[in-house]
Amino acid sequence: MATRDLVLSALFAAIIVALGLVPPIMLGFIPVPITAQSLGVMLAGVVLGARRGTISVLLVLVLAAIGLPVLSGGRGGLAVFMAPTTGYLIGWVFAVITTGYLSQLLVSHSQAGFVQTVNFFVAALFGGVIVLYVCGISYLALITGLGFSKAFMGSLAFIPGDVLKAVIAALAGRAVMVGYPLLPKRA
Amino acid sequence: MRSLHIDGDSALHRLPAGVKLATLSVISLALFMIGNSAFLAGAALVGLAGHTLLRISAAEIWRRMRPFALIVVVVALFTAVFNGTTEGLIALFRLAALALFASLVTATTTTGDFIDVITRAAMPLERLGILKARDVGLSIGLVIRFVPEILSRYEVIRDAHYARGLKPRPVSLIVPLIITTLRSADEIAAAIDARGIRRQK
Repeated sequence: MATRDLVLSALFAAIIVALGLVPPIMLGFIPVPITAQSLGVMLAGVVLGARRGTISVLLVLVLAAIGLPVLSGGRGGLAVFMAPTTGYLIGWVFAVITTGYLSQLLVSHSQAGFVQTVNFFVAALFGGVIVLYVCGISYLALITGLGFSKAFMGSLAFIPGDVLKAVIAALAGRAVMVGYPLLPKRA
Repeated sequence: MRSLHIDGDSALHRLPAGVKLATLSVISLALFMIGNSAFLAGAALVGLAGHTLLRISAAEIWRRMRPFALIVVVVALFTAVFNGTTEGLIALFRLAALALFASLVTATTTTGDFIDVITRAAMPLERLGILKARDVGLSIGLVIRFVPEILSRYEVIRDAHYARGLKPRPVSLIVPLIITTLRSADEIAAAIDARGIRRQK
């Protein structure tokens, strides 16, 4: 692994951590504050691609595991990996792999700007929402013995906010690609 | 960024980090296989009693466990409503015990000890040519070093919005944050290579 790739992954991990520490960003059109950390996971895939994106997410999880309060709300320590919501944390890894892989597959520099944004949105939605919730809900259902349908109902309220984050990730991902392209060529 | 480690010289502090992690995984496996609410309540009490080894106040223990208390109670209530009170109690005590034991390991192990364990665990992967074990510590150091810098960069970008009479919006905050941060990657990488930290050709 080139030193530059290692540094890019570490810097993005630091961005994900920082996004969990800044006060929740208020959106103009809905009165709900959004915490930006899961947005950071989608952004890692969209900006860095599958491989480097995955390394940055793994780094954040390692930092949390070794007792640094790097997750939103100052959470950290091994207890976050022993909680009912741990599936969402483990899901981050699969989310960033999917988002990164789809971004590399779908988005190319020759496309029109709008097409790039839509493709980034598809990648972020599929990885950062669908794959993430499949992991989170399955884990919750298995660990608590609630069953899938009830675990799904309990998670439903958070889905609209995460779809919105996929929109933001797509807009930001396209803007970063214009300003400082890093996404590897089609895998 | 302050670690959740608490200084001390209790028996738990002196135990090697690898032993603590292995014990924690055995305990958590056992907690999932046992479905007796009285036993699980006892386990949760042992986990809570273990926190007296840390010599911190009850308020401090509560401050450390608060983020987990809410989610554990919500899930236990949900389970109780749908699957009955017995299942709800089992979920409550099992999840509480898990969080308490995990928090004990975190509080009694330093960041450096954890990094040593991870580096040793990564050695087989290094032999397979997947990664370099020493890179783990380097990357962790880089992240800790750059979080404060990114936070102050975030504040600069936000203030720049205010200075121009703009409302900070997610996209207009995040895009300059990512671009300015990642642009420094080349310099940092050159600095690391110039010092021969990764010892590669």
